[in-house]
Amino acid sequence: MIKIIMRHEWRSLRVDRTLWFITTLFALLIGYGASNGSAWVAFQQTALSAAQNEERSRYSQSQAELTRIEQGAKAASAFTNPRLPSVAASRAGTRYAILPPGPLASLSVGQSDLYPYYFRVSSQSRQTFLNNEEVENPANLLAGRFDPSFVIIYIYPLLILVLSYNLLSAEREQGTLQMILSQPVRLRDYVLGKVLVRTLIILSFTFGLSITGFLISGGKITTGEGFSRLLLWMGTVGVYGAFWFSLAILVNGAGRSSATNALSLAGLWLLFVLLIPSILNLVVTAIHPVPSRIEMVQATRRASTEATARGSALMARYLEDHPELVTGREVDPNDFVLRSLAIQAETERLVQPVIDHFDQQTLLQQSLIDRWRFLSPAIVTQSTLNDVAGTSFSRYRHFLRLVEDFHQKWRSYFTPLLIQRVELRSTDYDNFPVFQYEEESLGSLLSRVLIGLFGLSLPVIMTGWLGIRTLRRYSIGG
Amino acid sequence: MIKLIARKEFTEMLRDGRFRLTAGIVLVLLLTSLLVGGQHYRELKRQHELAQAETREQWLRQPAKNPHSAAHYGVYAFKPRMLPSMLDRGIDSFVGQSVWLEAHKQNEFKYRPAQDSTAVQRFGELTASTVLQLLIPLLIILLSFSTFAGEREHGTLRQLISVGVRQSDLVWGKALGVSGALGLLLLPATIIGVSALLLASNGAPPGASLTRLAWMSLGYLLYFGLFIGVTLAVSARAKSAQMALVLLLGFWVINGVIAPRAVADIGRRIYPTPSAFSFQQTIDREMQSGPDGHDSADKRTAALREKVMKQYGVDRIEALPINFAGLSLQESEEHGNRIFDRHYGDLWARFEQQNRLKWWTGLLAPMMAMQSFSMGLAGTDMFHHQDFAAAAESYRRMLIRKMNDDLTFNAVQKDFSYLAQPSLWQTVDEFRYEAPSTRVALTRQRTSLAILATWCLASLGAAILLARQMKVD
Repeated sequence: MIKIIMRHEWRSLRVDRTLWFITTLFALLIGYGASNGSAWVAFQQTALSAAQNEERSRYSQSQAELTRIEQGAKAASAFTNPRLPSVAASRAGTRYAILPPGPLASLSVGQSDLYPYYFRVSSQSRQTFLNNEEVENPANLLAGRFDPSFVIIYIYPLLILVLSYNLLSAEREQGTLQMILSQPVRLRDYVLGKVLVRTLIILSFTFGLSITGFLISGGKITTGEGFSRLLLWMGTVGVYGAFWFSLAILVNGAGRSSATNALSLAGLWLLFVLLIPSILNLVVTAIHPVPSRIEMVQATRRASTEATARGSALMARYLEDHPELVTGREVDPNDFVLRSLAIQAETERLVQPVIDHFDQQTLLQQSLIDRWRFLSPAIVTQSTLNDVAGTSFSRYRHFLRLVEDFHQKWRSYFTPLLIQRVELRSTDYDNFPVFQYEEESLGSLLSRVLIGLFGLSLPVIMTGWLGIRTLRRYSIGG
Repeated sequence: MIKLIARKEFTEMLRDGRFRLTAGIVLVLLLTSLLVGGQHYRELKRQHELAQAETREQWLRQPAKNPHSAAHYGVYAFKPRMLPSMLDRGIDSFVGQSVWLEAHKQNEFKYRPAQDSTAVQRFGELTASTVLQLLIPLLIILLSFSTFAGEREHGTLRQLISVGVRQSDLVWGKALGVSGALGLLLLPATIIGVSALLLASNGAPPGASLTRLAWMSLGYLLYFGLFIGVTLAVSARAKSAQMALVLLLGFWVINGVIAPRAVADIGRRIYPTPSAFSFQQTIDREMQSGPDGHDSADKRTAALREKVMKQYGVDRIEALPINFAGLSLQESEEHGNRIFDRHYGDLWARFEQQNRLKWWTGLLAPMMAMQSFSMGLAGTDMFHHQDFAAAAESYRRMLIRKMNDDLTFNAVQKDFSYLAQPSLWQTVDEFRYEAPSTRVALTRQRTSLAILATWCLASLGAAILLARQMKVD
């Protein structure tokens, strides 16, 4: 039965200009979004390859100079002498830690425009290289990007609602509903048939456009990773769409006029897409306020002044803590390298609690959001799409952890060289640690995304069920 | 006649449950956002004052040290907030809050507050400006989409015309009626807003803030006026109330949701900005070897040495009555400043072009004009940020020059072991920043104001025109 209704509905929709207008508009918007998304990915890749080029040419310059020095030439200046481990560890030999754009990055810019995607890791404290944001007009950051995920979260529901706000009310207002239901058709089947046709049309468009956008921006569907992420993306988009369709059934089931339906659905859209998120943001920042970074700037400065003042005492303690570093050598109490290492260690120790507090507050906010995001399907969709695309906060945190580990590794490689005043040779430069980015495991991603999908499906089932129930009491008289 | 119609509309709205409900929600949201905004402002102000005092204290408490080390130590400048920023946070969450002023470098502002927020923030912050720019227009649409179309559907429009009501009277009456209902909502909100502002100012004279607030209010009144005009015009022209509603909601979505992002991305395409990496790389390269690649630091120093020795008529650098290192440092500082001026100038000009595009989009989507007008007067737009950045940078240059001059004139015949006494730190005045006056801010925003006024007049005119031509059934 439903099949017949669907075929019938498809014929009548096909001659309706609204459908074509909406689908064309939708295709244009997603296409524009995908081109913006790929432009951003390309921009990042250009910057990343420029950074890698810079590293390569810096290395070959240093090694060339080392070869000259090894053949007896004098170094230009002690500040740039690549032979010194201090110069290599903080300038000449530094390496970039790079976060490559996520597998579906062109489909969702997410938070990737806010966080740095590469760091030049040196032996200095992390705070010196972690603030490496991209240059960007802040007014553009405020507006946000016009990417496919924006079209999905904000506009896709509106298109669905335009197609279905008067699903039943229009037929009733025209008087055709009575005529149809005088035949052996159940109202429920009729509504389902209508909704299914629209769902099929909208979803085939969305999926087709998503896949096209993904392929155009260089995504690889043949890899298991790319394919499974694309499936998750389409699953999320499908369930999110189903939510808005079920909402439309529910509102139509209440039996009001088309204009009232339009108003109520617009109100619900406003509620879920704008109001709940901004109120939630307000509440979360009120419960777990992140202190201003101004305080951190000052704390760092206080700590460094304090540590510098106690330089000699700190140096003695540093040596006690690290006896392995100075075996078999007389220690000069004015040793500049040792002194600055000790001061640096102490400054970092003093500042660490302040930094931890920031991290802790941000994490608390995030976990609160994770719990309450189910209040609005728009938030769930946003976080899930960002996760799938690899532009979420959690992927960024994963990157930061890898960078932290690499920074440790870098320091423990160079500290003994620094203290023992080893003179580097050009071949040593090839052995410096290299940063390797490992993608976060699909397992942890999957668990986050599936929880999101589950939380998204629940309201769909609930509103769908409620909607079908209200249809039982639907009065078809005009 | 107009009065009669207005009173009828007004009474009808007040008795409408939908209006009472939505107006109640909007009012609650507005008050919440005002309170939160005021709280936020006070907190930032407190932190700012503490930090500003502390950075000064740190500068003054430096022990005797070489002036150039002091220049490297530097000071921090923290961006102050203006009182009206509690109504509209503008770009504040997306620009760094502090900048380190040190030798050799014009640094970027660091720590964008948005980095310490969750992704939910990207849905938008709930501030008074969000409520005024997005929700009130929606309320206007809700109140009056069926003004003419509804009357026509009920057949009452024909009656009205038949008793001799002029269409333009009808438009004015209906517009007044809606305004009255809105006034009922906005009047208490304004009173509470102003008192929240006065409260947040903590007794400081809020003169300039009140002027800014008054201009902001004017902008918002024009904005509401234009939405009333558009709604009435569409209602007069549309075939049915339902059609009018769908069209108006579409207009709202284009304004509030699509235009801001679409224009940002178009602007980025037409006026691309460099990546942070290439920006920094270009500056570094020019710092080392001059803009044309033939002006290396060594060459410049040699040329300066020649020039100075000739000027003082000596043949050895040691015989100079000044310290050449200080002079050379200042020369390289000025070389750097020229490079910074050019590159930051170019970058900011690009941002400016992108933002101008946003103003002009206001011709199509007036919310864009409202947004920049509101930010502009709240002191949270790019212009105010750059004004502060420029002030901080010129303070930096003054400070570094003082340090270099001390080295040049007081460290004669001495090497880098020369120590300046702490009294030198006192000679550098504290950094005090004066925000641009209301007049300057307003002049900057004259295009957006003109666009809002044009839209308001044009849409009310269109409403009258279309009402005259409208079909009665």
